[in-house]
Parts: sequence; structure tokens; C-alpha cells
Amino acid sequence: MSEVKDINPAGEGSKGLSRRQFMGGIGALGALGVIGGAVAQVFLLPDEVIAYPISGGFLLVDQKKCSGCSTCMAACAIAHHGAANHSLARIQITQNPFKAFPYDIDPVQCWQCDECTQACPTGAMHVDPETGVRTVDQMRCIGCLRCVAACPRAVSAVQWDEQTHASQKCDLCLDTPFMDDEGGVNGRRACESVCPMRAITFTTDLPEQTEDDYSPNLRTENWTSFGYVADIEG
Amino acid sequence: MKKGVLPVLGLVLAFGLGSLWAVQATRSEGGGLLFDSAWWLVFLAPFLGVLAAGLTRRRDPRIEGDKVLRHNGAARLEHWTHGLGTALLLATGVGLGFLFVPRLVRDTDGVWLMMNLHFVGVAVFLFGTFYYAANTIISAYRFREHLPTGNAFSFTVHYGKLLGVKKFTMPPEDKYFESEKMAYILAILASVGVILSGIVKVLAHLMELPAWLVSAATPVHGVSTIAMLLFFLAHVFFSSVLPMSWPVLRSMFTGYVPREYAEKEHAGWYKRLSDSDDAATTAGKGA
Repeated sequence: MSEVKDINPAGEGSKGLSRRQFMGGIGALGALGVIGGAVAQVFLLPDEVIAYPISGGFLLVDQKKCSGCSTCMAACAIAHHGAANHSLARIQITQNPFKAFPYDIDPVQCWQCDECTQACPTGAMHVDPETGVRTVDQMRCIGCLRCVAACPRAVSAVQWDEQTHASQKCDLCLDTPFMDDEGGVNGRRACESVCPMRAITFTTDLPEQTEDDYSPNLRTENWTSFGYVADIEG
Repeated sequence: MKKGVLPVLGLVLAFGLGSLWAVQATRSEGGGLLFDSAWWLVFLAPFLGVLAAGLTRRRDPRIEGDKVLRHNGAARLEHWTHGLGTALLLATGVGLGFLFVPRLVRDTDGVWLMMNLHFVGVAVFLFGTFYYAANTIISAYRFREHLPTGNAFSFTVHYGKLLGVKKFTMPPEDKYFESEKMAYILAILASVGVILSGIVKVLAHLMELPAWLVSAATPVHGVSTIAMLLFFLAHVFFSSVLPMSWPVLRSMFTGYVPREYAEKEHAGWYKRLSDSDDAATTAGKGA
């Protein structure tokens, strides 16, 4: 077999810098630059300290008052998506008939803490600067689900929206294209306004806390007009 | 150790260790995303590809006895890093869902594993693609070999005769069939689209980008993925499933196609190689 030699036209032999040498130089410089930048980022830049403003308020659901009718879920989905689809609701009411009252109904609504906001790598999950509401800019969401996992609720209050391929969560009806009324902290919340049991309310006060949850009591005097006891000891 | 073993070993190591890294990162506390913790590799891989091209010495195609060198070591490395990287990217991309394709993984662990495997695919794909791009800049004539010519339509239509006409003669195709050359344009557009939009998506982890840019990158990434998927499926079918392509598939491992095959299927290319061989022999005698 004849000897095989490189007959590449860009090979050495010509005067000056060959294309191959130029490419090698670009590659080496670029690689060193990226490695240097990564190392510098670790050693030179201080850790970021980010402070999140408190939310302007949040939703409370009285577990003992909720009948599990899921009207709130339908209203939420209609206000945000224009469809009465429970899978699209940002408030989730789950029921377990094998548990005793009041644990047979488990309402999961967003507490407006900032765990999901901290977990988001792209800033899609953010604090609305005007209202303090924790909400998602779905255009920025890359769908990594870190916010879903970061939510401290046993069932995440952040959901994956299969339609938009982005996360979604309760924004206190800040962005409700299918609701005529103004939403948000100072507006109307769809779930709150449709609840037939008045088991949902918007508050700016921290309710009584248990070991790992809140224990809201919305059983006011009006509650007795339905024939129920006004304040049931849990 | 045989010279060709090193790239194969490198590829196996890249995918093997990369997959282990992806699994380990997924299992770490809080679920680590490699796009967050190892973003630098996404930008390092292209430069490593360019550097590797600068260090590569390529052999040009030539007739060697009863066989013809078609794919030298660099061509095989380009092809398999780009191709296997693309395969991993497509598989994990489809798993994660895009455009109208629903997400197949439901839980966070599954999503993180898919994303981390996607990261491994990105690193290998970018290395291979930029290795190819830099090699092509070094030897621009290789790029011209891939571009469609005026024969694109007539040669491609000619294959229709394969379906029923007994006396079929191959048109004098060059190194690449005219149909391949047209598909090459689609592959370039899809690669450019997927790389540019992908870089925007990675940069979104590092800095605050305008929402319109990130939101534009996502559908562009999806559409480019569709184009890439179509090209990939067609490429695998025509290059690996059809028996007429098996000699070229073998040469993607060995580097060589039989001389008889080159004479029959790539008459134009074979003539070019023969002519350059004759010219070299004449020049050698003259000297």
C-alpha cells in the first residue's frame, strides 16, 4: 500500500499562520477563557444575598368548614384558563374518605412564601414588585420543576401546566384573562368569591400555627345560622 | 493501541461517565441541575471542539488498492459525536416534551434526570458540531462537497427508476448523493436553530434575560427539534436500514468503502479521485 500523507490544502508549509494553527489558537484561548471564568466565579464573586419582600396577603382555607365541593377549583380554572378543568386549578382540594373529620378534606392553596421563588433558576418564578404576590412569568419558565419540588406543602401548590409547558401557581387572581373583575391583593379572588361555605378568605394576618401547618378558624357567628357550631375545637 | 481506538474510547467514556454524573447529580440533595452547576461545560465544549480540529491532521479521500478511503478518523469522530449527541438530545427532549409533544416524565426526579442527560448530550453534541465546523473552515472544499449542485433535482428524481425499471443506471453522483446534499441544508439550519436557542436557554440560568428572548427561544428550540428529528429519522433509515447504504455505514466504522461500490454508486466522485491519482502519479514521474 502506498504511504498515506496529509494532502490537506490548509496544512503547514505555507508562510504565516495556517488556518489549522489559527483554529487551534482560537480553541485554546476560548477554552482557557471559559475555565478561567468558571474558576473566577467560584473564588472571586461573593455569595448573593437576596431578600424577598413579604407578600401583600394570602389565602386561608378552613378545613373544618370546607365541604369539598371543588367549586373553587372550577372557578380558578375558569378565571385563569377559561375552562372548568380541575387539573388546571391552582387551588387543590383533595378528599380521603378513609380519614376522619376534619382530615378527610385537605385543601392545598399557596401560602405565598418564597421557597419556589428561591428555587427558580431563571427568575421565571418571581415576586410581583407592586403587590408582593409570588407568581410565574411563564415565558421565562424552562420547566425544570424545581419550584414544584421546593413548595413546602405536602402536595405542591405549584403545578405543571401541560398546555403551556410551564409552571403555574396561585397569583391571587392577579392575571385572570377570563374574569371581568380586577383581581390581586386589593381585588377579587375567584375561589374566595364563589365558595358556598365561605371557607376561603384572603388575609394579611398570620393565623394560628400548628407544628407544620396553619389552623385557620373562619367559623364566625354567621356559621351558626346554618345550624353549625360556631367554634369547633379541633 | 490502534490509533482509531482512542476516539471510540473517548466517546464511550463521555457517555458512560456523563450518564453516571447525570444520575448522581439528580440524586443529590434538592436535585442538582447540571445546567446550573456545570454551565461552563456548555461553553467549554465548543472551544474544545475547535481546539481538537486545530490539532487534527486529516487524510483526504483516496483510492487504495481495492478500497477507497471515504471517512478518515476526524470524519468518523465528527459524525459519531454529533450523531450520538443528537440522539441523546432528541430522546431526552421528547421525554421532556415540547411544542405539541406532551411531557412523558411526570415526577421531579424524572424531569431532573432527563434534563441532566440532556446536558450530557449538549456537551457531546457541541463538541462534535464545533469540531466539524472548525474542520470545515480549515478545509473549505469539504463544505463545498456537501452543497447541492445544478443536478440536485434531476439526479434525485432518477432514483424513482429504482422502483420499477430493470435497467437502472446510477447517475454519476459525487461523494454525497444530491439528495443528501439537500438534506444537509436542513441539517445545518436545524443545528444552527437548536444551538442558538439552546444557548439562550442556558444563559437564562446565568443572567436575567429579557422575557421575550427566552420565550422566543423555546418555540425556536422546539421547531428546530422537529426539523432535527425528521432529518435524524430519514438519515438513519437511508444510511442504516437500506441495504444499498451498508457499505457507507461500514465505512463509518472502518473508514473504507469497496472500490467496486465507489465506482458504481459514486461514479462522479470515483472519477475525481482517479483523475487526482493520475495527476499525482504524472507529477511524481515528472519530478
